[in-house]
Amino acid sequence: MFPAPFEYHRANSLEEALELLARFEGDAKLLAGGHSLIPTMKLRLNTPAHVIDIRNIPGFAEIRRSGDQLIIGGGTPHAAIEKSAEVQRSASALAHAAAVIGDPQVRNMGTIGGSLAHAEPAADYPAAVLAYDAQIVAVSAEGERTIPAGEFFVDLFTTALEEGEIIKEIRFPVDGDTVRSAYLKFPHPASRFAVVGCAVRLTMDGNTCTDARVAFTGVAATAFRDEGVEQDLIGKTLDDAAIKAAAQQAAENDELEFMEDHFASEAYRKHLAKVYAERAICTALGR
Amino acid sequence: MSSWKPLDKMTILSHYYPRIEGPEKVSGIARYTYDLQLPGMLYGGILTSNVAAGKIVKVDTTRAKQVPGVRVVLTDIHPTGTIRFAGEEIAAVAATTPQALEEALRNISVEIEKNAFVVSTEDAMKPTAPRVFADRENVRKPRVREEGDVEDAFRKADVVVEAEFRTATQVHACLEVHGSVVHWEGDELIIYDSTQAVHGVRKDVASFLDISPRKVRTVCVHMGGGFGSKLRGGRYTAIAAKLAKAANAPVKLMLTRRQDFESVGNRPDSIQKIKIGATKDGRLIAMDAVSYGSGGISGGARVRLPHVYKIPNWRYVHHDVYTNAGPARPFRAPGSPQAAFSMDQLMDMVAEKLNMDPLELRLKNDPNPTRQKEWRLGAQKIGWQNRNRKPGSDAGPVKRGIGMAASVWMTGGRDTKAMLRIYPDGHVEVRCGTQDIGTGTRTYVASVTAEELGIPLKKVIPLIGDSDYPYSGASGGSTTAPSVAPAIKNTADKAREALTELISDKLGVDADEIQWKNNSIRVQNKTLSWEEACAFIEDEPIEVHGKWTEGLSSAGVAGVQFAQVAVDTETGQIQVERVVAVHDCGLILNRLTTESQINGGIIQGISYALLEERWMDPTTGTMVNANFQNYKIVGSRETPEIEVILYDEAERGVIGIGEPPTIPTAGAIANAVYNAIGVRLFTLPMTPDRVLEALSQQRS
Repeated sequence: MFPAPFEYHRANSLEEALELLARFEGDAKLLAGGHSLIPTMKLRLNTPAHVIDIRNIPGFAEIRRSGDQLIIGGGTPHAAIEKSAEVQRSASALAHAAAVIGDPQVRNMGTIGGSLAHAEPAADYPAAVLAYDAQIVAVSAEGERTIPAGEFFVDLFTTALEEGEIIKEIRFPVDGDTVRSAYLKFPHPASRFAVVGCAVRLTMDGNTCTDARVAFTGVAATAFRDEGVEQDLIGKTLDDAAIKAAAQQAAENDELEFMEDHFASEAYRKHLAKVYAERAICTALGR
Repeated sequence: MSSWKPLDKMTILSHYYPRIEGPEKVSGIARYTYDLQLPGMLYGGILTSNVAAGKIVKVDTTRAKQVPGVRVVLTDIHPTGTIRFAGEEIAAVAATTPQALEEALRNISVEIEKNAFVVSTEDAMKPTAPRVFADRENVRKPRVREEGDVEDAFRKADVVVEAEFRTATQVHACLEVHGSVVHWEGDELIIYDSTQAVHGVRKDVASFLDISPRKVRTVCVHMGGGFGSKLRGGRYTAIAAKLAKAANAPVKLMLTRRQDFESVGNRPDSIQKIKIGATKDGRLIAMDAVSYGSGGISGGARVRLPHVYKIPNWRYVHHDVYTNAGPARPFRAPGSPQAAFSMDQLMDMVAEKLNMDPLELRLKNDPNPTRQKEWRLGAQKIGWQNRNRKPGSDAGPVKRGIGMAASVWMTGGRDTKAMLRIYPDGHVEVRCGTQDIGTGTRTYVASVTAEELGIPLKKVIPLIGDSDYPYSGASGGSTTAPSVAPAIKNTADKAREALTELISDKLGVDADEIQWKNNSIRVQNKTLSWEEACAFIEDEPIEVHGKWTEGLSSAGVAGVQFAQVAVDTETGQIQVERVVAVHDCGLILNRLTTESQINGGIIQGISYALLEERWMDPTTGTMVNANFQNYKIVGSRETPEIEVILYDEAERGVIGIGEPPTIPTAGAIANAVYNAIGVRLFTLPMTPDRVLEALSQQRS
């Protein structure tokens, strides 16, 4: 399988990449890790005339801490996020999510910006990004704007990014002393994509949950925050019964556009969402 | 009748030793058909139908021919023009690059007058279903086999159990897809093929092309998996030959992964309705079974019922069902894993109803003396006595269980010939037109020779995988070892006689004064080493021909497997934690490769039990998961601890072991799942959602 002919451009700065994107007016694709783009090009689902390689932009793969924010460059590979001591310390759920993406080859090549922009409904990051209320910083010729995670995922393979925008970085609030977070998934046996992935970020006062973020991927057309579970956790003393009760609220929102395939029916996905909510909460709390 | 030397005299056979081509394979030096590059070679490919039923009206190749690099476009490759499954050949292209080939195939436009189609077995059985063949019903005439008086036996039965089992269609999914590299030398065709039968390919392709088999030579040095799907010559090989002829250049034509999944074989599905009757003391007395299954546009869906247990009164009615899907081909123990899945579960159901230990029930009803011993060995090794006495009684969401199932296979050896040369420097070359499909054939061609001549393995050069070598049949039906090993022994024996005769001539002594000891030859009170003996050979190497003889092989093996599983009752995931396998195969030629065969059979069996299922799209008639991203095969991550116990019966001679180890695995896992959770799974593969569904039905 071979992609349709295209012209390759290597951008050495974000400015250059943006300039190229503007010049080709929608007939260009950005190449970061290439793990989603190249297969779709080989299948001829994507036939861009131009491919702009943004892998070599200096500083585009940086992980840094700025005050109470963890800032991850759009071009950062999954493996760097998975192994970063800073991410493990200040955003455990994100590190967990990065560590279970695909296989080592995928994690060495694929990038967080590429994965988020692709918006594969069974990708791992979206759940983590939602659970952190992360801010996605998009840059274009017109300048920068910040898109809250809750507004970013629009539909299957569709995001709030506009034509000509690049994900420059993603900003995560760091887990403070009172925050417990985790990501767990049930992988598809063959593709390793999430059949169900659940990210949780709990703020605890002793055994009492004062704030909760619970987000799922793989279950519906886009990743989503599950307020049913969150509301049932907040204010509760999180003993086994409370966790189980809250987890039972998972994926009960009828407005969700549930996914279904030969491997996992809608009912099975809903069931797994409850199981994984409980397991992710327990993992976050170290139980 | 000849015989093998006693086991305690053997220095190579029946020991553990690595396969000869191992280093080549693990270092990537081994060249498979897929790797071959011939000078001036073109890339060939086939456009296959993405329509499940219809009539080819028009094939327009105008734009394809204009693609730069395209050398030949053929449109007359479909024999009738009537399409009966998605995956049938419509047109073929040869081009200078794989890119040009793909571009040209993409630019062929095909007009097909579409017909109604049916891809599911159950749908095809309905009276209103579209007919796959206009002149025939989809459900073929039943095949009935019957012994004893079934009705009377059921009247006498104290307990009766009954269930309906379903197994999915499994594709062979060979890592190396089907394909060939071909080139013409004048009017002679040389085929490099990924095949289980170099002589069979010569015959079949000669017939496809209507040329003499004398003009065809097939070569297969290494091949990446067949499992029964590469036993015959392929139409793709004939198409490659036509392309090569037209282009006057060698052509490599390997199927795409989708084509390989859709067109070149599968293990058919089954729907089995079976009733068993037993007496209260645990003797099986009656079986009544009906099955349906579809090999697509072919037959071959029969299940090997009644499996291994002695049932004096039984009836089995099987119906092959046509669907608009690719034809079945033999797949590692055709019909048998399906039978172990149903019958070994029914055994456990009978045992439960009688409140009897399932092991005891098997010992009462298994007529095979070898398996009687194997059951006991396996039970001891897995710790059968420590199993869950009450199914599903483990505390917590993850529950463990143990189950067992049986294996039987009946084939033996047949005609094989070989030729052997001894060179003056002591090297021995053995030629045999068999092939190594990954089982270790090449290695025992050398080791049998070395054992019989008393020389080191490295002195022997085994030459196989070429139809110019003496005849051997297809590597199928677990017949290869019992066919080839006796022929090699016979040939080596003749070589020793010929060398003895030569030495007797040269030294002027009687042949019976020359005595062969291990690694040396005694003559006139002197001891000659192998090299010294061979030095008597002058210019012309000793050349002898031998063949398969009686007495060195037999037919029929038994086998049992025990599986231990952990079932997560919240997610439905089954993890196979451990498999204990006890198998016999007569005289074991090489313990290492025999264990590998058993490991491989079990791994494929776990895959069949838990993962593999061809999904046909009822709206398009094509296979949904014709790729490894959606069709999962067990890999190293899912492979449990496997303990192989080889049960020696050297006195029986050589017997094949390729197929038997894949037979009992799914049945043993299914029984282990029941033992773990107290709920029975009647459908393969046992996927997490099916496990949960079964659990929820039990609760309600």
